[in-house]
Amino acid sequence: MNEKTKRAIRAGVILAFISIVIGLLIYSRIQAYSLAPTSTPIELRGYPLWQIPIIYLYDYFSHGVICLLFAFTMAGLIYEFIPKETITKYMASSKAIGYGLALLMAPFLTVCSCTMVPLFGGILYAGAGIGPAITFLLMAPASNILAILLTGELISWELAGVRVVASATTALLAGLIISKTPWGKAVEKEHQIGAMPSSAAKVEIVKPPLDERLWTALKFGAYLAKQILPYFILGLIIVGYLEVFLPEEIIREYLTGVDGVILASVIGGPLYTPTLVEIVLGRGIWVREGVILSKGALLSWLMGQPYDFANALAVSKIAKWKVVATYMLIAWAGSVTFGMLYGLLSGSL
Amino acid sequence: MQNIPSGEEYMTEVKVEVIGTDPPCMRCQAAKKAVEKAAEKLKTVGVKVVIEKVNVMSKETVQKYGVLVSPAIAINNTVKIMGRVPSPEEVEKLLLEAAK
Repeated sequence: MNEKTKRAIRAGVILAFISIVIGLLIYSRIQAYSLAPTSTPIELRGYPLWQIPIIYLYDYFSHGVICLLFAFTMAGLIYEFIPKETITKYMASSKAIGYGLALLMAPFLTVCSCTMVPLFGGILYAGAGIGPAITFLLMAPASNILAILLTGELISWELAGVRVVASATTALLAGLIISKTPWGKAVEKEHQIGAMPSSAAKVEIVKPPLDERLWTALKFGAYLAKQILPYFILGLIIVGYLEVFLPEEIIREYLTGVDGVILASVIGGPLYTPTLVEIVLGRGIWVREGVILSKGALLSWLMGQPYDFANALAVSKIAKWKVVATYMLIAWAGSVTFGMLYGLLSGSL
Repeated sequence: MQNIPSGEEYMTEVKVEVIGTDPPCMRCQAAKKAVEKAAEKLKTVGVKVVIEKVNVMSKETVQKYGVLVSPAIAINNTVKIMGRVPSPEEVEKLLLEAAK
């Protein structure tokens, strides 16, 4: 067998695996069985304390494994095959394109701080300035492909859609407002370099053969899973207990309605949870037996997670505290406003 | 590869910049390891590899290469790899090409 056939076979095997993963998800859709846990609090209450997480996790993974497999495979594939060179080239061209790309591309590029941090810096230094950079930063945690898929599967696709639209609007507003403030302008002025790549340096990306790219994509998906799943499982254990012991009355009392939205946005912010855990936690608090107690409050909660610490650390070196404070304030205001609005419009405040 | 003479008579120097975030992200570290492994191997055939760690967020980097996605690897001032972790074998091949 020569090198070429070997490569073709390898690529074929990986493509077959990917098709199976996609096929499984479609099959689960056709069969219309739930990918989210199905055991009810009353059932769970019958078990001893230590058994609850085990049963809950088993329940979750027996349903959710297809969804997780699909989510991580897709995240890996999209990240590998999205034309990064083209994006980085256009990021720097103009303000309007900067905002557009920040909004459209954040979902695909932000599964890893390896991408977020340099792009934030790049947009700020060489390109469209502080506005699009902030938009990108705020859009990122809410709209990466993993978050969208899991919000859709675990909570509801309607909420996943609303989350993206609401986050995009808030992110755009935050970018526009901060770029108009004197302190925002100061940061921009201090950092902008304008000049384009010097002639001595070039960018000539080498593309490996298809089978290697596919393999890299799967490896990256696995890497993401390794990073995220431990927190995710921990989150599920907490949620198992929450569903059993947090009485519905308390949630109805404090975490729904106008106060509910405000409270959700306030605890959603400082209570930093790593990526994706906010989704399971939100589900554990507001979803009871498939019914969302308050769509508005849940949206507020999901949007109240505007910051990722790893990124914040790198970013805070550049942005001044005033910029960070403005950014937090707008993010919070956005989460409250959209929570209320969505709650009122959907009749589930 | 047999034709490459060993020792002092063959002294090609290749400059490699490993461009990553600071504090380093895991994938940037993985990329650096791949480069180090390749460099170690090339030492035996007489190619000297100078590895430099570059911060992707620094103004100098952006000025030089434009906006990048880390981890990126530049060989002799040309970015060859961006946004992925290469295998040591791939880096080795690229380095040998540059050493010619």
